[in-house]
Amino acid sequence: MIRFENVTTKNFDSLSFEIEKASAYKIITNSDYENRELLNIMLGLEKPEYGRVFIFNEDLCTLPEKELGRLFSRVGAVLIDGGMISNLKVWENIVLPVWYHSGKISEDIEKKAIQRFEETGMDISYLGELMGKLPGPLPVHEKRLIGFIRASLLEPELMIYDSIFEGLSPEMSETLIRVSGTFHSGKAGRTSVYITPDEQSVEGIKADTVLRL
Amino acid sequence: MMINAQKLGKNTIKTFRYLTGYYELLCYFIKNIRLLHKAPIRAVLYKQVYFTGIEALSKVALIGVLIGIVIITQIVNIAGSNAVLIGKILVWTVVRELGPLLAAIIIIARSGTAIASELGSMKVSGETDSLRIMGINPVEYLLIPRIAGITISVFILTFYFQITAIAGGLGFTSIVRELPFVQHLKVIFSALSLFEISVSLTKSLVFGLLISTVSCYQGFSVKSSITEIPQAATRAVMQSLFLVFIFDGIITLISFA
Repeated sequence: MIRFENVTTKNFDSLSFEIEKASAYKIITNSDYENRELLNIMLGLEKPEYGRVFIFNEDLCTLPEKELGRLFSRVGAVLIDGGMISNLKVWENIVLPVWYHSGKISEDIEKKAIQRFEETGMDISYLGELMGKLPGPLPVHEKRLIGFIRASLLEPELMIYDSIFEGLSPEMSETLIRVSGTFHSGKAGRTSVYITPDEQSVEGIKADTVLRL
Repeated sequence: MMINAQKLGKNTIKTFRYLTGYYELLCYFIKNIRLLHKAPIRAVLYKQVYFTGIEALSKVALIGVLIGIVIITQIVNIAGSNAVLIGKILVWTVVRELGPLLAAIIIIARSGTAIASELGSMKVSGETDSLRIMGINPVEYLLIPRIAGITISVFILTFYFQITAIAGGLGFTSIVRELPFVQHLKVIFSALSLFEISVSLTKSLVFGLLISTVSCYQGFSVKSSITEIPQAATRAVMQSLFLVFIFDGIITLISFA
């Protein structure tokens, strides 16, 4: 699913590993900086000085921009800050990737988004209010939750989580761990990768493999 | 002397780099304009036309009326109430020159800075990376609808400015100076040829493309520091103004010389 071959950067010296399909991986990095770099390389935002990175057997370092777009429509990523687009309201943020890649927002998608919010235990009356807000002033746990729901709507085969359980209250962290676990087991063959420098924050996650860099 | 030569060389290279960048972005826009049929990109286009075009209508109308009053008052002071002369001068100044130029300047001041700052802050806060991660090309999603939206807005606002300047100016002077409004309007329409209108609209299209390309390019050139944002906005305004004046001169020379 993901393969790093001798990836060399400022932080990594000949880093190689492979993440198998249909598994849950925890990758524990040594610092925020290392975490950011690993994530950027995995998501095709940065190229390593040396080495190759494969996702779905396609080399990220040589793929043209258009092909990268096609490839990443199969990957979901939940970023530490939620990765919201500031000039779009919450609802527009949630449906943007589905709308962009499929050209329409079906009723099924709307139902699925509401259902995912309900799974988190969010009050349905607050949901209506939340959908019309701009994401800027929202608390970080809501941004991460919205980021998760947005990424999950495309039903990606691979889901990457960037330190999203850090700095949250135990209840909020538990909710996010629970919904990400439900999503992982919701479809056979799904792969989840949790990247964080804070091992304690992902203690509650049942992973097949833990990779310490 | 050495330092000046070095500085001149650096500035020339920088200017050349910007011009090449603008040209490439414009070519990219023309090549990918069909992407506007995609619903999410079209939604950004509608928003852009609303913010740049529709929200500016009242300001453009006010400036148009004021400019119309000033021009007609000056003409009447110099040439008296000669309807033919007033009509011709009004067409020369408002339709040929001031309409496209002032609409462009209003949009540069109002929207050029806004777009450069908005895109710059989206780059700094990692929103363009978020789009990439979602498999959305940020140039396609953010720049193409903005370039199209601003160009459409300049085109519409130019037309609107010309109408308000002529109607407002004539209306005001017909009340204050007791000049016959309808008679003057007839003269203006007879002095207005299809050629004058097409040159004016060509100018507005060219200015729209220039302003939008420069503002989007400058906004998108911001890398990671927040201090780059005001610098990009300033460059967007100054370079848009320069290019608009240069192309105004070129189009006027080609059309009327």
